[in-house]
Amino acid sequence: MIRAVIVMNDQGKPRLVKFYEHQPVEKQQEIIRSIYGVLCSRAENVSNFVQADSTFGPDTRLVYKTFATLYFIVIFDDSENELAILDLMQVFVETLDKCFSNVCELDIVFNFNKVHTILDEIILGGQVIEMSSSEVVKAVDGISWLEKNPNSIIRVPKSISGWQGR
Amino acid sequence: MALSGMRGLSVFISDVRNCRNKEQERLRVDKELGNIRTRFKNEKGLTPYEKKKYVWKMLYIYMLGYDVDFGHMEAVSLISAPKYPEKQVGYIVTSCLLNENHDFLRLAINAVRNDIIGRNETFQCLALTLVGNIGGREFAESLAPDVQKLLISSSCRPLVRKKAALCLLRLFRKNSDVVNVDGWSDRMAQLLDERDIGVLTSSMSLFVALVSNNHEAYWSCLPKCVKVLERLARNQDVPQEYTYYGIPSPWLQVKTMRALQYFPTVEDPSTRRALFEVLQRILMGTDVVKNVNKNNASHAVLFEALALVMHLDSEKEMMSQCVALLGKFIAVREPNIRYLGLENMTRMLMVTDVHEIIKRHQAQIITSLKDPDISIRRRSLDLLYGMCDVSNAKDIVEELLQYLGTADFAMREELALKAAILAEKFAPDLSWYVDVILQLIDKAGDFVSDDIWFRVVQFVTNNEDLQPYAALKAREYLDKPAIHETMVKVSAYLLGEYSHLLARRPGCSPKEIFSIIHEKLPTVSYVYLLDYAFIHNTNNRYSSFNVCKDFDALTATGPRIAESNLGSIPQQRAVEYFALSRKGAALMDILAEMPKFPERQSSLIKKAEDTDADTAELSAIKMRTQQQASNALVVTDQRPANGAPQVSQLAMVMVPSMNDVDHASVDQPVTQANGTLSVVDPQPSAQDHAHVRSAAPAADILGDLLSPLAIEGPPGGSAPSEQNSVSGHEGTLGVDDALALAPVGDHEHTVQPIGDIAERFHALCLKDSGVLYEDPYVQIGIKAEWRSHQGRLVLFLGNKNTAPLESVHAVILPPSHLKLDLSPVPEIVPPRAQVQIPLEVVNLRPSRDVAVLDFSYKFGTSLVNNRLRLPAVLNKFLQPIQVSAEEFFPQWRLLTGPPLKLQEVVRGVRPMSLGEMANLFNSLRLMVCPGLDPNASNLVASTTFYSESTRAMLCLVRIETDPADRTQLRMTVASGDATLTIPTAAKPSAPVAQPTTPAIAASDPGAMLAGLL
Repeated sequence: MIRAVIVMNDQGKPRLVKFYEHQPVEKQQEIIRSIYGVLCSRAENVSNFVQADSTFGPDTRLVYKTFATLYFIVIFDDSENELAILDLMQVFVETLDKCFSNVCELDIVFNFNKVHTILDEIILGGQVIEMSSSEVVKAVDGISWLEKNPNSIIRVPKSISGWQGR
Repeated sequence: MALSGMRGLSVFISDVRNCRNKEQERLRVDKELGNIRTRFKNEKGLTPYEKKKYVWKMLYIYMLGYDVDFGHMEAVSLISAPKYPEKQVGYIVTSCLLNENHDFLRLAINAVRNDIIGRNETFQCLALTLVGNIGGREFAESLAPDVQKLLISSSCRPLVRKKAALCLLRLFRKNSDVVNVDGWSDRMAQLLDERDIGVLTSSMSLFVALVSNNHEAYWSCLPKCVKVLERLARNQDVPQEYTYYGIPSPWLQVKTMRALQYFPTVEDPSTRRALFEVLQRILMGTDVVKNVNKNNASHAVLFEALALVMHLDSEKEMMSQCVALLGKFIAVREPNIRYLGLENMTRMLMVTDVHEIIKRHQAQIITSLKDPDISIRRRSLDLLYGMCDVSNAKDIVEELLQYLGTADFAMREELALKAAILAEKFAPDLSWYVDVILQLIDKAGDFVSDDIWFRVVQFVTNNEDLQPYAALKAREYLDKPAIHETMVKVSAYLLGEYSHLLARRPGCSPKEIFSIIHEKLPTVSYVYLLDYAFIHNTNNRYSSFNVCKDFDALTATGPRIAESNLGSIPQQRAVEYFALSRKGAALMDILAEMPKFPERQSSLIKKAEDTDADTAELSAIKMRTQQQASNALVVTDQRPANGAPQVSQLAMVMVPSMNDVDHASVDQPVTQANGTLSVVDPQPSAQDHAHVRSAAPAADILGDLLSPLAIEGPPGGSAPSEQNSVSGHEGTLGVDDALALAPVGDHEHTVQPIGDIAERFHALCLKDSGVLYEDPYVQIGIKAEWRSHQGRLVLFLGNKNTAPLESVHAVILPPSHLKLDLSPVPEIVPPRAQVQIPLEVVNLRPSRDVAVLDFSYKFGTSLVNNRLRLPAVLNKFLQPIQVSAEEFFPQWRLLTGPPLKLQEVVRGVRPMSLGEMANLFNSLRLMVCPGLDPNASNLVASTTFYSESTRAMLCLVRIETDPADRTQLRMTVASGDATLTIPTAAKPSAPVAQPTTPAIAASDPGAMLAGLL
C-alpha cells in the first residue's frame, strides 16, 4: 500500500501533500522536514531509494525522483515493488505534463487543486487505480469540462478501451 | 502557465509566495484564515463559488503546515451541493482534511450514499473516491453491499467499476468483519477475466488483499492469474495506451506475480508449467538498456519474477539462473538495479542452497561497500553479514574492519556490531577473535558498545589457552600513544586478571603495568585502576605492605577525584580496598581468579535479533548457524560455572561498568567483608538469582553478562545515602566499619523515578509533548504550544494508583527572564485520575536559565519531592525563518566581531552527518538554508528569537565542518540587535546549547555548539 505522495521543491517547500493514512498536521510537517533533510544531501547518480523506517516504521520504503526543481516522493510498504513505484511516478509526471502542456513548478503551485484531481485518478486509498496516462488525461478532461459546464448533464466522455472487451 | 481559474485563490497563492519569510507568511495566512472564518460565520451571503474558493484556500493553507481547525463543516456540506464543481471540491477537501473518525463525516454518509446509488456516474466516482480514501466503519456498514454491486455490475462503465474495486478494498481492509466476502471467490474469478486493464488492475489489488487474508478460499483464482500473466507477458495482448515503454502493463504484471506469492505453492502441473514458461521468458528476455524509464519498468517485472521463482522454490536450474542474473545486476552501472540486486541476493540466502554460488560474487559485493550511495552500502553490508560463514569470515570481517575507518558515521555502530557478531560466530580460532575485537575498539572505540567488550572478556575468562595471548595483546595496545577509553578498560581488566601470565616479559612487571595504565588515562577510571592494582598485586603475592603503600597513594588522590566530578565511586572503592587489604588470610580467597562464565547465547546476537527488522536476512543467518555451530563456542570448556563456592569474591572482580550495577556490586563485598568474609557462602546459586534480580534496572544485556557474578545491592539503593553512611561512620568507627553501608530496609521508602529525568527533559527540549517525569505512582506529562515570545503549557498530572495522591504541591521557581503563571494545583489527585494544570509562559528577555518545577506529594508516610527542569528553554522562543541569499549576506557582513558575532572551533564532537545536523537544527527551530554556503560541507541556518523586550530578532548560524575530521567543527553565530549587546552574545548559541548541553554531555555536537557560545 502507498502511504503518502509528497511533492516538494528543492527548498523543501511542500507543493502537494497527500497521506493515505491520516497524520496530524504537525506530524506531516515533521515528516516533510526529515525527508527533505535526507534528500537534499544526496548526490546525483545515486539510487532512488532511501531508508525510511525511522520516519514511518519498519518495512516502509521511500522512493524519490527529481524532476527539475521538484522532488516527487512516494512512501509505501513492502507490498509494493520499488521499481514499479518509479514507473508510477513517471506516469504521474507524464500525466501532469500532458494536462499542463510542459509542466513546471509554478503550474503545480497555482493549480494544486487540479493536481489533486489528477492524483485522485491515479491513486485511490493508497492503491493504484490507473497506470495509463492517456486514460487519466481523458478522465481529468471530463472533469474539467464538467467544472466549466456545471449545468450540463452530459457524462464524462466514454473511453473507447473500456468497451472493447464487451 | 495555467491559473486555477479562481482569481481569489491565485491572488492568495501569489501573496504567500511573495512573503519574504516565514513570519510574513504566517501573518498572511492568519489574515486569510480570519477572513474565511468571518465569511463562514455569515453564511447567507456566501455564493457556492465563494464557498468553493475558500475551501480550496483552506486546503492550501493546510498543505503549508498550518492547522485548519474550522470550516470542516463547510467542506463537508459541499458534498451535498447539487452541482458538480462544488460537490467535487467538497469531496476532495474533505478527504484530505478529515480522518476517518471525524464526527462530521457521519453527517455526510447519507449524501455519499445517495451519490453512490444515484444514476450520475461522475457523482458515483467522487463518492467512491472519498470512501476509498477515508471510509470508516460506518461507511462499511451502510455502503459495502452497494459498492459490491457496482463492481460487478455489467451496466457500469470501467471508470466507476475500478473505483468501486478499490473502495471495496479499503472497506474490507479496515473492517473485514463488516464486509461480507463469502462466496466472493467466484466473483473474483470472474473479475480476473476482465478485459479492461484499468478494471483488472484495481481488481488485482483487491484480489491481493483478499488472498493475503485467506488464500484457501481463492485457489480457483490461481489459474486465472497465470492466464493474466500469459496474456500480458507472452501474448502481449494489451491496448496501446497500456503499453509502457514497449512493455505490456508492467504494473499489472508485477501485481499479478505479487498475488501469486500469497499462495504457498502451485500444485496443478499444467498451471505450474504454464507459469514457469512465462517466468522463464521474463528472466531471459530482459536486458539493461539505455532508457532509464524502460529499464525501471522491465526490471520491476524481472525482480518480481525473481521473487516469485524464489518463493516457488523451483527446480535448481532456475534458481541458479536467478543467482547468475543477480550476480550480473550487482555489477551494473544503474544504481537502482545494483541496489535491488544486493537486496534480493540477501533475500535469496535464506531460500535455498545457493550460498556457494553467491560466495563467488564476494569481491563484487565488497566493492559495493564503497559505493557512493549510502543506500547501496547498507544493502551490501547486510548481504556480507548474511553470507558470512566459517570459510569466509576472515576475509569479510577484515574488509569490514578496513571499511570502518572510512564508513559513514550513521553506519559505524551497526558495522561494529555486525563485525563483532561475525567474529564471534565464525571465528576460525579464538586468538583471531580477540584480535578483531581489539582492532574494532582501536579503530572505532566510540561505536563499540559495552556489550562488545564485555563479551570478549567473557570469552577470555572462559578459555584458559587464550588468556596469555589476550593479556599480551592488551599490553601491546597500551604502548600506542593514544588509545580509546574503552581500550583502557579492556586492557586494565585483562591485565588485572592475567598479567601474571606474562611475568618475565620485558615491560610486564606489576609496577610497570600499573604505571602505564595509570598514565594512560588518569581521568577515566580510578575504579579499574584500583581493581587492577589490587588484584594484580595480590596475584603476585606481594606483601601486604606494598599493597597498602600503593593504595595509600591512591586513596590520597580520592578527594581530588571526587571534586573533579568523577563521583563517589572511585573514592569509596579506594577506601574499601584499603580496608580489605588488611583482612589478612581471607584475602587469598577473595582474590582468586574469576571462575568461568556459564555458557549462554551471546547477548550481542540476541540484541541483533531483537533490533534487526530484516527478518529475511536474520533467518538466513540463524539457519546457517544451526548448521555450523561456531568454533568459538565449541572450544569453550564446559566446566560447570560457579563450581567454586566463592560467590562473594566475584563481586570484587566484576566487570567494570559505570552504572547502577556497578554501584550495587560495590556494596556486596563490603557488607560481607564486614565480619562475614571468612565464612564462604555455601549457597551460591540461590543467591545468584537474587542478585540478578536486584540488578534488574540495568540493561538486560548487562544483566545477562553480569549475572554469573554475584551482584547484590539494596534494591534501588541510592547513591547519596550510601555516601552519607560512609562518611557518617568514618569519623567514629574507623575504616573497617565505615564499610557497613546503609541497611537494605532503608531503601524501601524511597520512590525511584522511572526513566532518566535528564533524558526526558532533553527530549522535551526538542519536541512539544511527552513525559516529563514518571515514578511508580505518578506520571507528569507535558504538552506545549509556542507562539513568538509566549507559550502555553499544560501539565498532565496523573495518579497511577488506586489510592488518592495526597498533599500534592507544585511550585514554579522561575528564572528572572520568564514570567510564569501556573494555575492552582489540587491538593489531592483522585485514584487513577489525571488533572490538567495549564501554565502560561512569557519570555521577557534572552537568557539561558531554566525554570524549575518543585513538585511533591505524599505517598504513605514518605514525602516524595522532585525538582524538575521545565522545557521552557531558549529555543522554544525561536521561529524558523527562511532567509534568501540577498538577505543573508548583507546581514552577515553587517555584524562583525564580538559581541554581535562569535566564532569558536569545537573539537571532540560526536560525529554527525550534515543531514543529521540539519535535523537537529530543525528540531531546535532553526531553519537550514541550503545553497547559501557555496561549500557543501557547511551548514547555514537562520531563525528569529522572540522575547517581550526584544521582539523578533534575527539570528544567523553557520557551521563549517571538516569532511576529513568530523569530530571538529567551527561555529559562527551572529545576531543583529544592537540594543542587546551582551545578551546577544549569549543568546544565539544558547538556543542550540541549552537543550542538549547538560544531558548529552560533550559527546553531542549540538551540545558542543551550545556550549560554545
